[in-house]
Amino acid sequence: MTDYTVSSARMEFDKFIIPTVTIFILALLFFFMMFPLWMILKLSFFEGGELALANFTLSNFKQYFTTAYTLRSLWHSLYVSGVTTVIVTIIIFFFAYALTRTTIANKTFFRNIIMLPLVAPSIVQALALIYLFGRNGLITSHLFQTDWNIYGATGIIVSEVLYCLPHAFVILFTTLSAVDIRLDEAAESLGASPFKVFTRITLPSAKYGIISAAALTFNLTITDFGNPVVIGGNYSVLATEIYAQVTNLYRFDLGATISIILLVPSLGAFMLNYYISRKSFSMISGAARPFIPPTRRLKKILYSVYCYLIAFSIIMIFTTVIIGSFVKVWPYDWTLTLAHYSFPSIGGYSAIWTSVWISLIVGVVGSFITLVAAYAMETRQPYFKQVVYFFSVMPAAIPGLVMGLGYILAFNKPYYWFYGTPWIIVINIVICNFTLGILSSVSNLKNIDPSIEEASISLGGDTLSTFFKIIFPLSRVAFIQNFTYFFMRSMTTISAVIFLVSATVHLAAIEIIMLDNDGWTASANAMCTCIIVIVFVMLGILHLVNKWAGKTPSTEMVSG
Amino acid sequence: MKKLSTVFVLIAVSLMFLTGPVMAKDTVVIYTSLENEEVVEYIKQAKVELPDLSIEAIRLSTGELGARMLAEKNNPQADLVWGWAVTNMEEFVPKKMIKPYKPAGWDKIPAHFKDPNGYWTAIDLYAAAFVVNEKVMEQKKLPVPKGWNDLLNPIYKDMLIMPNPASSGTGFLQVASLLEMLDPDYKSKPVEDNKAWDFLKQLDKNMGQYIKSGSKPAKLTAAGEYGIGCSFAFVYASLKKKGFPVIMVLPEEGAGFELEANALLEGAKHEAAAKKFLDWAISKSAMEGYAKFKLGVSYPGIQGPKDMPPLDTIKLAPMDFPWQSKNRAKILEVWSNLFLR
Repeated sequence: MTDYTVSSARMEFDKFIIPTVTIFILALLFFFMMFPLWMILKLSFFEGGELALANFTLSNFKQYFTTAYTLRSLWHSLYVSGVTTVIVTIIIFFFAYALTRTTIANKTFFRNIIMLPLVAPSIVQALALIYLFGRNGLITSHLFQTDWNIYGATGIIVSEVLYCLPHAFVILFTTLSAVDIRLDEAAESLGASPFKVFTRITLPSAKYGIISAAALTFNLTITDFGNPVVIGGNYSVLATEIYAQVTNLYRFDLGATISIILLVPSLGAFMLNYYISRKSFSMISGAARPFIPPTRRLKKILYSVYCYLIAFSIIMIFTTVIIGSFVKVWPYDWTLTLAHYSFPSIGGYSAIWTSVWISLIVGVVGSFITLVAAYAMETRQPYFKQVVYFFSVMPAAIPGLVMGLGYILAFNKPYYWFYGTPWIIVINIVICNFTLGILSSVSNLKNIDPSIEEASISLGGDTLSTFFKIIFPLSRVAFIQNFTYFFMRSMTTISAVIFLVSATVHLAAIEIIMLDNDGWTASANAMCTCIIVIVFVMLGILHLVNKWAGKTPSTEMVSG
Repeated sequence: MKKLSTVFVLIAVSLMFLTGPVMAKDTVVIYTSLENEEVVEYIKQAKVELPDLSIEAIRLSTGELGARMLAEKNNPQADLVWGWAVTNMEEFVPKKMIKPYKPAGWDKIPAHFKDPNGYWTAIDLYAAAFVVNEKVMEQKKLPVPKGWNDLLNPIYKDMLIMPNPASSGTGFLQVASLLEMLDPDYKSKPVEDNKAWDFLKQLDKNMGQYIKSGSKPAKLTAAGEYGIGCSFAFVYASLKKKGFPVIMVLPEEGAGFELEANALLEGAKHEAAAKKFLDWAISKSAMEGYAKFKLGVSYPGIQGPKDMPPLDTIKLAPMDFPWQSKNRAKILEVWSNLFLR
């Protein structure tokens, strides 16, 4: 009898916990994402940001669209992002094709190299390109002695291409490995020419992946701040114009207005991606991947050369930055020195440690919250599932700089105690990167056999103990993956937090921008190198942890 | 479960680090626009001479700092601003963001280096200067310019670099000095009609780039990216010391200059500590620290660095700070419309 009452109380508690968690997640997203966005919207449409009918105004938008130099940033952004998108999609398509459909050697090497840009802030490309192709670049000025240089649109496009490669690769690699290769074989054996097979079978079967990769690249490029600010020269794009309006002219209202203008294309690209990726999931068949037929010799050589070229470009970027941080005066004096590692800035090494601690916390908090949210959303099917899902994936559409500006506008009040502390940075980074955490947690949970959970519940486990004793241990590999992702993002993010660093909190990635701004390029390279090394050390540690976590027998229960 | 507890231990440890060690000292939060390179040294000195203060500081460009303070107007995060352009400071006085305070030793500072009501006290004067890369000039067989007028010569096409006046205080003082020198009637006419804009349009034809910060033109020139960087005097000294092939030219028409001043911020959370710091910041020993970098400090009788000409031998442009600060927004608007591409 007593047993019965206990478990009924338990049931009551169970009914209560999932809605609570759901509401908590929703509240979190509303308060830390929608509320700052709302402040931006208000400031751009209402005089002085005061919500009242009499204050409604379109004058900010009018000023933006009628001032030649501000309007130019919109065309610049669209041009740069458009060109980058086309280039990245083409490059990565053939790269992923080579890795999935041909029998070239060293595939693991290529797969690892293409992911390399993820370990550094989106500024490393620009720094390296200036050293190589700047006005006094090693290649432009010293090898070819030409006056041509890379500053401006070309520089932004090249650096963004190199920055977007891994992101587009993940999508196209998945698509091309999932599409059934037997279709190609069938067409070929029916007598179609290789060209025809490619245009009629291979391309159409990968179209969702291609569009999705293109949309993601467009979004990443148009919202990026680090590369354009370093290599853009006088070429302004929307992201840099927001920063310029706010910091140079104190025009917060115009900054908010440009934020809204930037939100339109980035939200558009995101919605396209969102729509496409839902469709493309259904294309992926669980059929076992058949063996790839040996590639013809010439084709194999061409694809190998192609892959090596791309791998070489990425390696060159990283080696340039690392070597640049150790030589005395690039490219005049190649004496090795550690001088650039004594940073001429207030932040210095303390900024690196702050970044590491914040990233560890972001890693733990981020991966835990996204796991809980995914669990509440997926396994228990609460009423608001769709709503929660939509808001959870939305952060990917919001440019970091816009979010940062929104945070200043929303939380710079005496009663928000966390403003000016490291916490606002932790929250900001977790929210800005919520999307991927949620997506990977959801796909992981889908792989857990529901019967295990049912067994736990029928044996008397409540929601909490099921989560902590069954779901959490079974998700630990995904948890570690998410931790890695959040940690890397937190170490390397620039745009979201540039408005949030303060006298008490200096961050390494922001220090790079500041050092470069002041002309301490070699020290900026040195700081970049420090971040890269730290991320690699962390990846090494997590690799070991992963091995250890993967060894325990419980993972065998995970089906699929 | 073991792993779960590991996670919690991690969170707990991280929490400890975030809250920081228990503060026994008085904290003072400082905003500054002084160059990173110099301010690192000054802070080292301040920490020795003010052992009971825990100094938290951030260095941002003149514009970034202004935007920060404006955004935080109703919830100030900093206690004081240290070494910030007087032009910008004057703009903030009527906004009631600055609290008058006459630091100890205020009387020793000459009148033209301070606000009569004690809103701000200047610590130094920094002057615009061209930093020229000798190697580049030799290679291209170009003469070294003597002043602004020489820079209009088409032989310098794409060889020049100057800071964007909107983001850099140095860039602003260069433009302001030209507006005031080239048009004697600048006061009586609207900013957009100033004769100097024609000069700047000419100059624009030779300009390789307008860049965000004031010291970067000098540094990029030293690195050989440009031939002539419109920058300021003290960066030159530090580049020369590092062995770059650079020389300094003070424009013969008159070098524009700016005062860098300190002020107490309205709503400072640590007012007592801030006052202590402000007292130190105009003390003789602090000024001797500044003088290792600065062309001229406001404390009488302290000589600037050895490798720079003494202040009284330099022809300075007549700078009109009240006019500049009143018209700052307008000047930047006109400039942006003309020269931002």
